[in-house]
Amino acid sequence: MNVRIALYGALREADPRGYVELEVPPGSTIATLRELLTAHLSEHAPAVNVKLVRISAFASDEEILHNHRTVPEDVALAVLPPVSGG
Amino acid sequence: MDDMHVAVVERKVAALDAAAAIEFVSDPRFGGIAVFVGRVRDHNLGRVVTGISYDLFEPLALRIFRAIGERARAEVGDSLKLYIAHAKGELGLGDLAVVVAAGTPHRDEAFRACRLAIEAVKHEAPIWKQEHYIDGDSAWSEGCSLCEEQHEMQRAQDSHGGTAGHGHDH
Repeated sequence: MNVRIALYGALREADPRGYVELEVPPGSTIATLRELLTAHLSEHAPAVNVKLVRISAFASDEEILHNHRTVPEDVALAVLPPVSGG
Repeated sequence: MDDMHVAVVERKVAALDAAAAIEFVSDPRFGGIAVFVGRVRDHNLGRVVTGISYDLFEPLALRIFRAIGERARAEVGDSLKLYIAHAKGELGLGDLAVVVAAGTPHRDEAFRACRLAIEAVKHEAPIWKQEHYIDGDSAWSEGCSLCEEQHEMQRAQDSHGGTAGHGHDH
């Protein structure tokens, strides 16, 4: 299935559209999505530090999705690098 | 009436307003109001700062602001009005980045609720700060990871006397 992942903070620079789209096997976990995103950015956005993906969280509009969670179908996701509000 | 106000305010549309925050948390029952105002300062880590851009994942940020408010209510009790607003977009020096206000019957609960809320906003809300420097360079701040696996690794490192810990002095 196709998953759209919105980019924020330093990861926004990985794609001028502000998101990437990945093909993900149905039933994959967030941990797998993390690996797929790392590989995608290594290939398509070499200027971005992919180590950032390792310490980023994934989320829907409603909640943080930790590594053991299954990637939800038909839900736009976001990848959230370490936060620095305030 | 809702005792909690949460907002993300695009700087181009409006500036944050501390007076509006105080007005919102005011109540005849309340004798204590604590307010935290975060402003854009002109330096960081030895570099001259000329402005800040804030990027936010807005739907989740608003949900997390509300969850933080519920946590503050659980901590200090139901007699609480809380206001949390964060700016988005391009901010200049002196612009308000964040305003948190808590109104309660007495000062102790007001200070505690305000402190809890601002610390949680800084460490848990999906907000990213990019500093712009006088030499034309820009950099995203390092920040706090929201990834629980990262927290577990950090805790393991800290318990083994690691020094790479995240000091939370920001």
